[in-house]
Amino acid sequence: MPIAADIMEALRLELRRGTLILAVLGTLRTEKYGYTLKTELAGAGVDIDEGALYPMLRRLETQGLLVSEWREDARRQKRFYRLSDDGAAALAFLTSEWRAMNAALDSILGSSGLGSSGLTEKRR
Amino acid sequence: MTDLVERYLASVERRLPKATAQDITAELREALLAKVDAREAALGRALNADEMAEVIKTFGAPAVVAARYEGRMHLIGPVLYPWFWPAQRTAVGVTAAIFLVLAAIRALASDRPVQAMLQSADNVIGWGLAAFAIVTLVFVLVERMGDPVKLAEGWWDPKSLPREHIRKPRSLFESGISLFFDIVFMLFWTSLLPFPNELPLRDGASVAVTLSPAWAAVYWPVLALALMAAAGHLHDMVRPAWNRLRSALSMAGYAGGLAVVWVLLQSRPLVDVQPQPGTSAEDLERALLLVDGVLLVSLGIAALVWAIALAVEAYRQVKATRMSEPGATAAA
Repeated sequence: MPIAADIMEALRLELRRGTLILAVLGTLRTEKYGYTLKTELAGAGVDIDEGALYPMLRRLETQGLLVSEWREDARRQKRFYRLSDDGAAALAFLTSEWRAMNAALDSILGSSGLGSSGLTEKRR
Repeated sequence: MTDLVERYLASVERRLPKATAQDITAELREALLAKVDAREAALGRALNADEMAEVIKTFGAPAVVAARYEGRMHLIGPVLYPWFWPAQRTAVGVTAAIFLVLAAIRALASDRPVQAMLQSADNVIGWGLAAFAIVTLVFVLVERMGDPVKLAEGWWDPKSLPREHIRKPRSLFESGISLFFDIVFMLFWTSLLPFPNELPLRDGASVAVTLSPAWAAVYWPVLALALMAAAGHLHDMVRPAWNRLRSALSMAGYAGGLAVVWVLLQSRPLVDVQPQPGTSAEDLERALLLVDGVLLVSLGIAALVWAIALAVEAYRQVKATRMSEPGATAAA
């Protein structure tokens, strides 16, 4: 029985939800403002809506993981973000968690993995 | 075309907390204009209204964007939700049952029972909705003010889980119906609700049947037993699974019922019959024998049922004790 497209999409979103914070923290090791951050994430293959990105930045700042400041750039006021010291510690912790999880999943899925062939089988 | 941007930002801003609204919209404005600039640079011209609307749409609906800043996008979260519907079922069910019983009593006491029942239907719906609203409000307050995770963890203990394997939990309908009959019986017993007691005989004759003085000795015990049964059935509506306390209450009820039967059997007859106009002495004698006999058999059947039920409950108590003993699982 083929897997419905909406189920696949829900699974995909669930899988990537937790990784977005890691991607944002990793990208903000160097200072960026919202638009360049989104562009850089998209360039790396991590697409995120503005409607989700900006609230996330504010939440991370409230949690003390980011610091921001308004500054003029190209004749416009922009808000620049970068990692705080706590954010750098959180990034290091999450990175090691991610790597451990990745290694564990690799051992479960195998180096060749179920890959696309396994899923394709199921979809058929 | 910045008019569309400003309208969008104003729509987001009015949904945000005042303290942060301006700061957030300033950042969104910058983000929107940066995206517009990039799009215009790619096209080599200014965006028209449709293209501008398309860019704005990628940011999401104002209500959704504002809610994301608030961080909480639910009234009752996944930690409390598993308790939400069971709580609603119980609250609305118990409320509806109480008002249905009241409606039934009102209907029985009225000259126009159907009309009285329909008039009471408004109360059932209204109070059912009120119960739903109150439970929802309590859950929302706990979600907002309490610590749902801690509460959810503290709410349950494996040792207090219902013993559903001892006896199938009673349904709300079953308990509600039982409660209804308990109340009707109590109304009959206390003479608050008059029941017809005329027994028609052949040839148009009839007799009025009343309980004999033998029953006077058990008036209060029977009322107490009926109240106990009603309390038990009300308890079943909230906690339908078997538990020791409820079982003990049932056992006390069955034992009390047996004692009442034993007391009644010491003095006969169980009923008195009074002749109505046109009833012969022979008819009267026959009616007394018949009603007394029927009541005697009914009491005998009730005593048998209660004795069996008492034994079953005693067995369940023993079974629960055995299953609670250390090593019971290993032995099983």
